[in-house]
Parts: sequence; structure tokens; C-alpha cells
Amino acid sequence: MPDTQWPNYEVFQQEREGQPHRNVGSVHAADAEIALQNAKDVFVRRPNCLSLWVVPSVMILAKSSQELIDGTWAETVPDTPASAEPEPYFVCQKQSQKLSDTYVVHVGQVEAANPVEALRRALEQFGEDPGWVWWVFPARAVTQSEPEDIESMFDPALEKHYRHQYHYHTVAGMRKIKKGQNS
Amino acid sequence: MALADDEIILAHRNSEWTGHAPILEEDIAFSNIAQDEIGHAVIWYTMMAELLGEDPESYPDQLVFFRDPSGYRNAQLVELPKGDWAFTIVRQFLFDAAEILRLEELRHSQYQPLAEAANKIQKEEFYHYRHTHAWVQRLGLGTTESHRRMQAALDDIWPYTAQLFEPLPDETLLVEANFVPDPAGLHSAWRNLVVPSLEEADLVVLVEAMPVTAPRSHHTEHLPALLAEMQAVARQVPHAEW
Repeated sequence: MPDTQWPNYEVFQQEREGQPHRNVGSVHAADAEIALQNAKDVFVRRPNCLSLWVVPSVMILAKSSQELIDGTWAETVPDTPASAEPEPYFVCQKQSQKLSDTYVVHVGQVEAANPVEALRRALEQFGEDPGWVWWVFPARAVTQSEPEDIESMFDPALEKHYRHQYHYHTVAGMRKIKKGQNS
Repeated sequence: MALADDEIILAHRNSEWTGHAPILEEDIAFSNIAQDEIGHAVIWYTMMAELLGEDPESYPDQLVFFRDPSGYRNAQLVELPKGDWAFTIVRQFLFDAAEILRLEELRHSQYQPLAEAANKIQKEEFYHYRHTHAWVQRLGLGTTESHRRMQAALDDIWPYTAQLFEPLPDETLLVEANFVPDPAGLHSAWRNLVVPSLEEADLVVLVEAMPVTAPRSHHTEHLPALLAEMQAVARQVPHAEW
């Protein structure tokens, strides 16, 4: 079946000053600007957020530690134009198997001429940390929210209260009604 | 009251897209906008309650769920059925543009509670405006079909926009006291904002259409139907606890 969805963008969110950007999920969008807005609407209805990135999924080279054990992994990556100049790549890593670390976090940057080289460099530079999953993508693929967006995009969420269902008396009321029916 | 009623009625129309928007992400975005608008309406209704010495907890519900259509002061623009996606986007864009300009002025209101509320609401409305502005550009410049629908929506909606800037009864007194901005000034600032944006999206404003300038107590046949749905549960069980 053909995919009728718009292209996929991975979403990264920075919650607090000093914390890294963390992948939180993905959105579909026709272009990067709308992707950034969709990311805000899908992931920042609740606080906190200082900054968002969106990255087209097709621009990301992702490998699990399992895949990297096999030395031939680079052969599976489609070739990029040979003339490519070195450019900055962002490096992300999934750092543990804990539930709270489901997604990759941004750990740093390397210079490389293509994704395979970027991942090799990343493994050299950040390989001491245990990485379960590695992502690399060129810095130019990232669309970021601006600091001046915080006020209109993220701050309003701070004042919105999330109410669990038990906030409402209805739940207790329904239980009573059900009990009454059973007896 | 007019500000609050515009927000609550439009919020209801937008909430009709929940579960039906073109894609999931936009469904969430429009439901967010609808919720934000309900929040803004509550701020205005609560302010009214305080001015009138009513209970700020129950008064907003009282106004929303137990007022008849003739008591509503929303502009006809917001009560029109949601139409297709182009109609919804064009209406929201034109409304948001009016809101951000009005709120920008209200932030400097001599009436302090109004200025504070406007300051808070303005931030969210700015984002709504940015979102619908982006959509107007994409649909206006999209395919032949999307352009056709956008132009048709604009032709239908444009006459209704005039009512957003019609002076309210006794508004002149508030304008003179620097409590609220002058609606005529707002209207021309709004035109200067939206017309170039629409033209950028290859959409043309028809000037011949007769503007709707009825007082805000006059409504289309769509409002009673909308209220019947919105108020049904509250009216059936007036003292229900939630």
C-alpha cells in the first residue's frame, strides 16, 4: 500500500537549561516549518520545553549496537556524493535500557563528509559511553525553534493543568452506581 | 462579552474537527487551539463576573450553557458551520489576525485587569496566528484545487469580517477612557496585516461584496443549532457534578 502520509520528522526536545536535546517521538509534516509547529502541538501541550528540533527521518543514519558488531554495516548505507565537503554532524545515543531512556539523546558533534564517516567518528569520540543505538545527521538537516519562540510556543503550557480522570467526581460516582447495580 | 462569545463559539466550531482533521497532527493542533480559546473565554467571563459581583466559579458556565441565542454577542463569522478545511483555515487566520492586533492594544489598556489578561492571551494567539498564517500560504500556493477552495472560502468569509470591527453599544466611552482600542483604527490595521499576506498566497480580496454590519445580537440560523448541541447536556442535568 502506498504511504499517503507526509514525510516523517524526528522531534527533539530540551526541557531545561543545561540538559541535552532528547528525542521524544516523531511527527508528519509537509515541510520543516509545519513540522516544528506540529512538534509543539503534539509534544509541548504540557511543560516543560525550552527548545525543539525537527529532523527529517530520511536524513538520519541510525544503527543499533547489535548492527555495529558486524563490521560490514557501512556497506548497507547508501552512497553519498563523493565530492561532499566535511560538515558538522550531530551525534545522538541511546544510553541505557531503562524505560526512562527509551529514546536517543544528543551527545555532541563531529565533522565528516558523509554519514558513514560521521558514525565512525562518533564511535571513536563517544565510544566509551555505552551506546545501544546511535544516530547521526548533518547539522543542516535540523530546524530549531528560536529563543524568542519560547514565549508564544512553550510558556503558555506552564499554566495549563493536566487533570487525571480521578480529578473529577464522576469516577467515584460511577463506581458507586456500579456497586449498587451489582448488589 | 463580545470577546468571550467570539472565542467560545469559534472554539466549539473548531472542536468539531477533533477526530476529523486532515491528519493526526493537525487534529491535535486544532483541538489545542479550541482548548486555548475556551481558556480565553473563561478569562473574559470571569472578569465580567467580578465586575458584576457574580460568583466567578459558576457565572461562566451560567453564561455559556443557559443563555439563548439572542443573548449571545458573538460575530456571525464565528458561528458559520466549519465548512471544508480551507474555510476553517481562512476564518481562523482572519480572526487570529484581528485578535493579535486587538490584544496588542488591550495590553496597554488603562483598565489594569484587562491589560493583564490581554498580556497573557496575546502570547497564545500569536502562535495561533503563526500556525494559520503558515497554512494560508501553503494552501493558497498549493495545488489548483487547494487554491480554488481557499479563494472560494475567502469570498464567502470576507463580508462577515466587518462585524468584528463594528463599534459596540457604549464602546465610544471606553475608547475615550483608553480602556479599549478604537475599532476603526483596528480595522484598518487589520486590513494592512491580512491583505498583503493573502496576496502573497495568491488570494484576492473581493471588495464588492456587501459587508455584514448587523448588531451582534443578530445571528444566523446556525447559532441556535450550535447552542442546542453545546448546551444539551448542561440543560438536561442542570446541577450535575463533574
